[in-house]
Amino acid sequence: MKAKYSSPQQFFRQRRMRLTVVLVILLLIYFGSVLLVNFNTFSSLAQIPAGLVWLFKTFIPNQHTTTYLGPIFYQLWRTLIVSISSTICAALLSLIFAVLGAKTTSPNRVLQLTVRFGASLLRNIPVVAWAMILLFSFKQSDFTGFLALFFMTLGYLTRAFTETIEDLDTEKLHALQAVGANYFQCVFCGVLPEAASTMTSWVLYMIENNIRDATLVGILTGTGIGFLFNQYFKSIRYDAAGLIVLLIAALVIVLELTSTQIRRAIA
Amino acid sequence: MLKVNQLDKTYGQDKHSLKSVSFTAQPGEVTAIIGPSGAGKTTILRSVNQLIRDDGGQILLDDQDIRQANKAELRKIRHHIGMIFQNYNLISPLTALENVLHGRLGAKSTLAGMFGLYSTAEKTEALALLTEVGLKDYAYQRCDQLSGGQQQRVGIARALMQHPKMILCDEPIASLDPKSTKIVMDILRQLAREKQLIILINLHQIDIAMDYADHIVGINDGAIVFEGPTEQVNEAVLQKIYRQSADAKVKVAANES
Ligand SMILES: Nc1ncnc2c1ncn2[C@@H]1O[C@H](COP(=O)(O)OP(=O)(O)OP(=O)(O)O)[C@@H](O)[C@H]1O
Ligand SMILES: [Mg+2]
Repeated sequence: MKAKYSSPQQFFRQRRMRLTVVLVILLLIYFGSVLLVNFNTFSSLAQIPAGLVWLFKTFIPNQHTTTYLGPIFYQLWRTLIVSISSTICAALLSLIFAVLGAKTTSPNRVLQLTVRFGASLLRNIPVVAWAMILLFSFKQSDFTGFLALFFMTLGYLTRAFTETIEDLDTEKLHALQAVGANYFQCVFCGVLPEAASTMTSWVLYMIENNIRDATLVGILTGTGIGFLFNQYFKSIRYDAAGLIVLLIAALVIVLELTSTQIRRAIA
Repeated sequence: MLKVNQLDKTYGQDKHSLKSVSFTAQPGEVTAIIGPSGAGKTTILRSVNQLIRDDGGQILLDDQDIRQANKAELRKIRHHIGMIFQNYNLISPLTALENVLHGRLGAKSTLAGMFGLYSTAEKTEALALLTEVGLKDYAYQRCDQLSGGQQQRVGIARALMQHPKMILCDEPIASLDPKSTKIVMDILRQLAREKQLIILINLHQIDIAMDYADHIVGINDGAIVFEGPTEQVNEAVLQKIYRQSADAKVKVAANES
C-alpha cells in the first residue's frame, strides 16, 4: 500500500482530517452511550467527594482492628504462596510450549498452531470463570485457586514467551547453526539466554498480577485473603476489610519494588 | 581447497539468484567475492555451509561434497567452517568467553553443549584465543557492552575455536570504522598465512578487497563475471563486475518514479 500525495501540505491536511474524524466519532460514541444509560458526568463527578469521605470514615482501620492482624497475615501469606507457586509452575510449562509454538523455533507447523490455539483458549477464559468451573471438580480449596491462576497464567505466559522468542534476531540462531550446533543446543545456548531477561520480567509481572487476582479467586473458592475479606465485609467489620485492602496494596507495592530490584540484578 | 561447481539457486518460482556459479578458493589465501548489491554474494556464502539450501551443483571442501552430507555429517563439516557476520551475531547477554566457547558446540554431545559443560582445556583455549585477538581484558564482559570492532573480534575467536579449515565472512567490516576495519582485516589475512586457512570474504569496499585479497571473484546478477588473482583486476574488470544490467536499470527507474 503506497499512498500518493501531491505535496507535503496535502499529506498533513489529510492526516489532520483523519484525526478530526476519529475525535468526532469518539465524542459521538460517548454522548450516545450517555444518553442510553442516563449517566450524567457532572452530577456523578459531584458525588465523588462525598462517596470518598464515607469510604474513608468506614474503611479506615482503627485501634481495635489490630486484633485481626494475625489471621490476616496468615491468609496473606497463603495467598502469596499460591500466587508465586502457580506462576512459577505455569512459567516452566510455558517455556516449553513457547519454544514449540514460536515460528522461529517450532519443530513442526501443526504443533505451532496447536500451542497458539491452546494458549489463546486458556488466556481468554477469565480467571473468575476458571475458578467457578474448577470449583465443580475440586471443591473449595487452595488447590482450586492454584489451578485457576495456573491455567490463566499458562495461557498468558505462553503467548508472551512465544512473542519474545519470535522477536529475537534469527540471524543469531543461524550463527549457532553455522557452528554446527543442533536444535537443542541452539535453544539452550541461544534462544534462552537472549530471551531470559524479558521472560523474567513477564514472570515477575504475572506474580504481581496474580496476587490481585488471587484475592478475587479467593472470594469464590473460599480460601486465602479474598475469603477473609469477604467474611469481614459481610459481617460489617469494615475496618478489618479496609485493613486487608491496604495490606494487599502494600504487598503488591513491595513486590513491585523487589521485582524492579531483581530485574536490575539480572539485566 | 574449496571448489564450487555450477551452483544454482532459485528463490521461489523464478527469482534466479545464482546461475551456474563456479570458483575455487585456496588455503593460505584471502579470496574476496565482490559485486553489486543483490548480486548473490550472501547467497553463495550461505550455500557453502548450507545455511541456504541451493538447488544444484557441487561444493567440494577437500574433495568432500558438502551438499551430499546427511544431517550428522553436515554438523561435523560445519564444525570446521567458521562464519563471521556483518552484525557479529553473538549471544549478547553472554560473556565474550562464553560466546567463544560456542565454537565447540559442533563437537560436543547434545547435553554437554546444552548445559555449557566445557572442559578446562577448552576454557583455557578460549581465553588464549581472546588474548590472540587482543581481548584478554574483556573475556568476562557481556558482549552487548563491547564495541563493534571488539564484537567482531569475539566473532573471529569463536570461529577459531572451531579449529576451522575455512572461515566465511559476510561483509565483516561493513559496520566498522577504518581503524577496526584494519585490525579485523589484518587478523583475517594473518590467519590465512599462518594457519593456512581458506578465508572467503564478501566485500563491498573495492579498495579493501584490492589491499587484502589474493584472489578475487567478481559476481554480477548471480553469474561469475571474473575470477583471478588480484593483480589482474583493472578498471575494465571492475566495470564488468559493477555494470548494471539493462533489466536492473529499468527496475531502478521504476522504483524512483
Ligand atoms: N530469502 C529470499 N527470498 C527471496 N529472494 C531472496 C532471498 N534472499 C535473497 N534473495 C534475492 O537473491 C538475490 C541475491 O541476494 P544476496 O543477498 O545473495 O545478494 P548480496 O550480493 O549479498 O547483496 P548485498 O550486497 O546487498 O548484501 C537478490 O536479488 C535478493 O533479492
Ligand atoms: Mg549480502
